[in-house]
Amino acid sequence: MSAVDLTSDERAVRQSSGPVLGMVVFVASEAMFFATFFGAYFTIYSVNPVWPPAGFPHLEPGLATVLTGVLVTSSGTLQLGVRAIRHDRSRALLFWLGLTILLGVAFLGLQLYDYSLLGFSMRDGIFGSLFYVMTGLHMAHVFGGVVFLVLVLLQGIGGQLSDASHDSLEAGTIYWHFVDVVWICLFTTFYLVGLR
Amino acid sequence: MGVAGLAGALLAGCAKQGATVQGQQIHDLYVLIIILAAPVFVGVEGALLWCVLRYRRRRGSDGRPVPQGAGGPRSLAVFFAIPTVLVAFFFLLGERTLADVQRREPNPAVELRIDSFQWQWTFYYLNEGFFVTGRTLTKVPVIALPVGAPVHVRLEARDVVHEFYVPEFLFMRNALPGRPNEFTFTPTRIGTFRGQCAEFCGLHHDQMRFVLKVVSQADYAAWVDQQRKAAQRVDCDPTGPLRLVSKDNSWNTGCLAVGASGPFVVSVSNQDAGIEHNFAVYDSAKRRRTYFQGPRFVGVAEQTYQLRPLPKGHYYFECDVHGPAMSGSLLVK
Amino acid sequence: MAIAEPRTTERAPEPQRHWLVQWLTTTDHKRIGILYLLNSFAFFFVAGVFALLMRTELTAPGRQLVTTNGYNQLFTLHGTLMIFLFILPVLVGFGNYLVPLQIGALDMAFPRINALSFWLLPVGGLTILSGLLAKGGAAAAGWTSYAPVSEQGGAGQDLWIVGLVVVGTASILSGINFIVTILRLRAPGMTMTRLPVFVWSMLATSLLMVLATPVLTAGLIMLFADRRLGAFFFNPAHGGDVLLWQHVFWFFGHPEVYMLILGAWGVVSEILPVFSGRPLFGYPGVILAFVLITALSFSVWAHHMFATGQVEFPFFSATTELISIPTGVLFFNWLATLWRGQLRFEPPMLFALGFIALFLVGGVDGVWMASPAMDFAIHDTYWVVAHIHYVLFGGTVFGIMAATYYWFPKITGRLLSRKLGQWHFWLMFLGFNLTFFPMHELGLRGMPRRVADYLPDLGWSFLNQLATAGSFVIAASMLVLLVNVVLALRRPRTAPADPWEGNTLEWATTSPPPVHNFDRLLEVRSNRPVWDARERARIQAAEGRT
Repeated sequence: MSAVDLTSDERAVRQSSGPVLGMVVFVASEAMFFATFFGAYFTIYSVNPVWPPAGFPHLEPGLATVLTGVLVTSSGTLQLGVRAIRHDRSRALLFWLGLTILLGVAFLGLQLYDYSLLGFSMRDGIFGSLFYVMTGLHMAHVFGGVVFLVLVLLQGIGGQLSDASHDSLEAGTIYWHFVDVVWICLFTTFYLVGLR
Repeated sequence: MGVAGLAGALLAGCAKQGATVQGQQIHDLYVLIIILAAPVFVGVEGALLWCVLRYRRRRGSDGRPVPQGAGGPRSLAVFFAIPTVLVAFFFLLGERTLADVQRREPNPAVELRIDSFQWQWTFYYLNEGFFVTGRTLTKVPVIALPVGAPVHVRLEARDVVHEFYVPEFLFMRNALPGRPNEFTFTPTRIGTFRGQCAEFCGLHHDQMRFVLKVVSQADYAAWVDQQRKAAQRVDCDPTGPLRLVSKDNSWNTGCLAVGASGPFVVSVSNQDAGIEHNFAVYDSAKRRRTYFQGPRFVGVAEQTYQLRPLPKGHYYFECDVHGPAMSGSLLVK
Repeated sequence: MAIAEPRTTERAPEPQRHWLVQWLTTTDHKRIGILYLLNSFAFFFVAGVFALLMRTELTAPGRQLVTTNGYNQLFTLHGTLMIFLFILPVLVGFGNYLVPLQIGALDMAFPRINALSFWLLPVGGLTILSGLLAKGGAAAAGWTSYAPVSEQGGAGQDLWIVGLVVVGTASILSGINFIVTILRLRAPGMTMTRLPVFVWSMLATSLLMVLATPVLTAGLIMLFADRRLGAFFFNPAHGGDVLLWQHVFWFFGHPEVYMLILGAWGVVSEILPVFSGRPLFGYPGVILAFVLITALSFSVWAHHMFATGQVEFPFFSATTELISIPTGVLFFNWLATLWRGQLRFEPPMLFALGFIALFLVGGVDGVWMASPAMDFAIHDTYWVVAHIHYVLFGGTVFGIMAATYYWFPKITGRLLSRKLGQWHFWLMFLGFNLTFFPMHELGLRGMPRRVADYLPDLGWSFLNQLATAGSFVIAASMLVLLVNVVLALRRPRTAPADPWEGNTLEWATTSPPPVHNFDRLLEVRSNRPVWDARERARIQAAEGRT
């Protein structure tokens, strides 16, 4: 399809491949996307003398901490999978990748359960709007990541992944870590800081 | 190049002088910018024109080598330095005028609260105790201010972002729901000035006008007196069923009258599709006491209310969504 | 003459299917580029007709042609379609066609995503336009769609939001594609410091597309949530903030306008050297200017909000003044390129020179608005309308016309008529100035933007009439271009590989190029490899004779 010629006077450094670089740039765009919402959050926070506003509970970190643990662990399992394939251990990769996907699905399920416990909705005021839009968009991104990893898993089951060729896994890993970092920011913002 | 110079001269003449202290400061800045920018503009356009005329490829020049020099760090430094110097001037001049314009004038003679809504204005004279309001598509409000005296304005919006703009004052300021703005100005010239909303605010944005008259101190006092008296003089007679119709965010009448014997019925017709109105009765525009407050309802729809009997007197009714622009007097005789 | 080894990696020829299917399923960057150009000019036509309708309505006070609601939809759709469906995509279209050629690559890095990026555009554009069929009409809150006005209105506004999210996604995908292509697929010898200026401009545009467009997407989601999901982002009665929309929109919006000009700067920076016979003066300075402007574009946004009275005036005034410095550097480099050259006034050069003359006006306009106090007098008036059209039309559209004449032979294999090109240029130049120069004066006389009507006793009528007359002259000039294109396409494909004595690699292959772009790739030792090759041949021929 496309001829990848390295320029002759570039040093022979192992460069990231096209798809991996593409994912890095994509993640940068997603970072700006989420940053806008965090900017909105702090702007609105600054014009509201009481936070959370009247009628909203102070969010307890209990279940959310579990959610954080699940997602951070899943980043760890995914990274172990990457290490496995870099040593051409395909079966180990499938194990860690499968585990990551399960943890991702668990995150989604637990988040929905958390929603049911909260007792407020988007329509109850600005805090509800911010909370559900931001965590909801994050959930959509986790879902997208799970779908992507499932496709990579299918590639792995089909024997297409090896040390020499696993761009899709590298790309998916970058995306998954990013989604994890966004959750940590959400968790910190909504559950840990900023009360007045 | 002559065209550019002419354009510069035209533009210099075309900026209005500014009919307030602050407006004059802005006009001066405008002229200063022209003086600095015109030579740059004329110079660059002139250099372009000169190159076009001087360096056109002529017959017989084929084969003569064209100089291939492409500059170096020194030319780059010069190219950066020239705009930097200019820009420093522009910035400092601009900051100085901004400080002048933004300075709050102490001891304002007039305190105005200006309320904006779709699609008119209400001007509250806070010290004098009356308001002047426009009615959407129906009435352009005319207000007066005394020449030479500072005016303090608190600018608000009820629904969407509007913009208070008086071209001859060389000034505008947004009215933002939930974020009031304050500024002062001192008119320096007697005259009649138009104003208009300058921030697109929906359907009838282009009709959201007002008129501002700057008059002598004596004339202003007379006008204030006249406004106060007019507010008290509203009268109408009880003639049949009470019916209010809202169209284009305005009531069909500013006066309802009813006899003092017993409860009475008011029917309200909202002819503004998709727009909320309501009907409420208070003691006065200050709304210290509420006698009746109907629910807000979206047009096109009709509602009928039965009100308890009220003692004889002069009451104030309004649509709470649009305030004094949709208000009037309810007389119980 | 040293040439690199002939390329052996050939792309497999596309299977012989019906031409419609071929075009609908193509992943060839050249065909996708042509699709971009066709789609963009179609939306240019539609948005241009909207402009003519507005200008006709405003010729005289009183309502003659359209209702107020109709007028409000017209200016909303005109702005939205011109910016999102014409200007940016046409630059991306030229980029799609030319960037792989100029860097000596076979195609873009992700050809299938490239195709997706294109097809999202007519989908998004038609979604926005379909609002005309909705109850209450299309979106009518301006292309800037300020809350809370944009929270009113019916389905037309929702269709606008959805359409823009689709178009924005196309932008982001394009940006990723260009960045990876430019960083990974350059030919041997083409270091970043030998990259054609147009490619640098597309790289800068792509960075902005990737980093700024998501901010708009986020804002559009907030707006949609307020409108249809019961949220309160912009509703102060429930804790939201009206000003939040403006901050989010302009944080995107200002980088957006640089997305709309950088490509044109790149085009002009390619054309001036070719038609002056000189190298681009100060190539490192031009690149540095692009980089600085790209970075600074994120720091100026609240200069669109001076009139709110609630932003940090000195900071944004300072950054706005700062960004004009690298812009000035660009002008000096262009003039120095012309200096002591041998100028040939083919149509691409006419439009490039027109660009410089007119973009300067738009830039100088900005000097007034960069000063907050001055902005209080001219914000939201027709002065701003003059400014935006001098930079976007006098600037970018003239640049686009220059690109059209410049690359038409390469893309189609035919030459456009020079005579008709001259007619096009002069009609457009005259018509443009007649339309938009009077708007400076209209703004100073107090005519606000986005008004469907005005009163007769204000002294605005004559200037409006001038502007309307000018707009029809512009329309006539575009007809001349259409005739030129139609006539040219009926001629046989006889354009040479290098009709203009160009500098960059696209001129080292046939017109149009073969499917695999190059049969032989020239050695790249500078930022003008074709000029180098021509010079070497000339010197060898001269030596051969002595």
